Amino acid sequence: MKLGAHVNPGFDLEVRTLVRRAGGPPPRILYRVIELQHLTKRYGGTLAVDDLSFRVEPGHVTGFLGPNGAGKSTTMRLILGLDAPTSGQALVNGRRYTSLRMPMREVGALLDAGAVHGGRSAYNHLLSLARTNGIGSARVVEVLEEVGLAGVARKRVGGFSLGMKQRLGIAAALLGDPGILMFDEPVNGLDPDGVRWIRGLMRSLAAEGRTILLSSHLMSEMALTAERIVIVGRGRLIAEATVAELTARYPSLEDAYMALTSDSVQYGAAR
Amino acid sequence: MSVLSSEWLKIRSVRSTYLILGLGVSTILLGLVLATSAAGAYDAAPPEQQAAARIADLEEALIIMPQLCMGILGVLVVTSDYATGLIRTSLTLVPRRWPVVAAKSAVVGALALLVGALAVFGTHLTARSVLGGRFSGAYATAFADRLPLLVALTLTVPVFALLGTGLGALLRSAAGATSVIVGFVYVIPIIVGNIPEPWSERLGSLMISALPRQITGDHITTSVYGSLLPPPAAAAVMLAYAAAPLVSATWLVRRRDV
Repeated sequence: MKLGAHVNPGFDLEVRTLVRRAGGPPPRILYRVIELQHLTKRYGGTLAVDDLSFRVEPGHVTGFLGPNGAGKSTTMRLILGLDAPTSGQALVNGRRYTSLRMPMREVGALLDAGAVHGGRSAYNHLLSLARTNGIGSARVVEVLEEVGLAGVARKRVGGFSLGMKQRLGIAAALLGDPGILMFDEPVNGLDPDGVRWIRGLMRSLAAEGRTILLSSHLMSEMALTAERIVIVGRGRLIAEATVAELTARYPSLEDAYMALTSDSVQYGAAR
Repeated sequence: MSVLSSEWLKIRSVRSTYLILGLGVSTILLGLVLATSAAGAYDAAPPEQQAAARIADLEEALIIMPQLCMGILGVLVVTSDYATGLIRTSLTLVPRRWPVVAAKSAVVGALALLVGALAVFGTHLTARSVLGGRFSGAYATAFADRLPLLVALTLTVPVFALLGTGLGALLRSAAGATSVIVGFVYVIPIIVGNIPEPWSERLGSLMISALPRQITGDHITTSVYGSLLPPPAAAAVMLAYAAAPLVSATWLVRRRDV
């Protein structure tokens, strides 16, 4: 069959797609991938993110480590299109985040659990987020159950503990059932029970084939949760390795982190 | 449409909204109190004083209440998102960003139109029924004659609300944006009233409070502001008060890091 016969352009396009699928590599290679290409962000005279390139892939939790001020949160904001990169780019599923029309279905993020209006109930908070992407109340009820907040769904968020707010933030990230999830220090403020819950949740989300980027300062926790580690310092990539590789070379993940970031700590007591 | 329903849910799921709406509509009660006391004073006065007695247009005198209330609601609907950090979530979920500003404006603008209409028409009808033919029949004129001014006054309320939304998005601070709103109501008109002529009248004609009577062509020579504008120009100035901050805010929100 000759594909150039332009009788029906729509049909033609369909045939081409089928042919490519049958022969070539699997379609949508970049599905569920975060890719940073020479990502750079400068605020005035400060380089917050400096030529950062790495990939975050599905199927496991990727830990995102670095000292305070290393650029982790800035990187996440750049990925989410909240800040515009000075140069380079961040891609999710092979596209710039800002080009997504229904982003909740592709990417979920928890940046700051405190970013809620204290006067609104947990249910209304989540429903207001869900509606922007055409997600209904049934899904809101579902995620509230999933994070264990169903019992306080109608309570005002202002009365929530930090741990409950973290759960609410995680619920918001899960609303669109996205393939890519980013969590900026979700363990902060959680009790031991909550910490264990997060660990299990992160692992099971990754096991479902999702891409998880998780930042945390708790090394022992990260060693239990993540399989791969990306370490940044002063905005630059310091290391990209599996937890197994790091713990083979160093006594523990914490020792690895300390050794690798010793030159990059900007704010801290003299060691 | 989905962003609109989200913003609608957001505004009706916090208590402060109802407080502000209630305060805006309570203008009617204030109108009732003023009309009743004016009627009492009129009835107690001797006939020769009654003949000379004049009364202010209560709906015009009290319009600053719904204007300020809804201006502040317009400010809060944006700045509360910035204050809590929720704006990051909002703009993450709607990466094009402009629909968020548009939806907030639509929700606040619609509420302001409703509150403005209730306050203006409610106050007028209350004053009409309380005062009857007193004050040389100031409130006994045909309702239809009064209608254009009532509509123009009503429209200044959504103008203030959208001005608030635009300023809130530009300044990202409730205190800053509210100060500017209050400045538009009180401070700037006082300054403009005290600069030398002809600039006092020229700039006075541009004050928001001067616009309704210029829009209806109902010029009064005793206007404290000025009345140099023909109706279409006055309407355009009023539209600009709402649109200019909103358009520049939308432009800025789309470009600014959050």
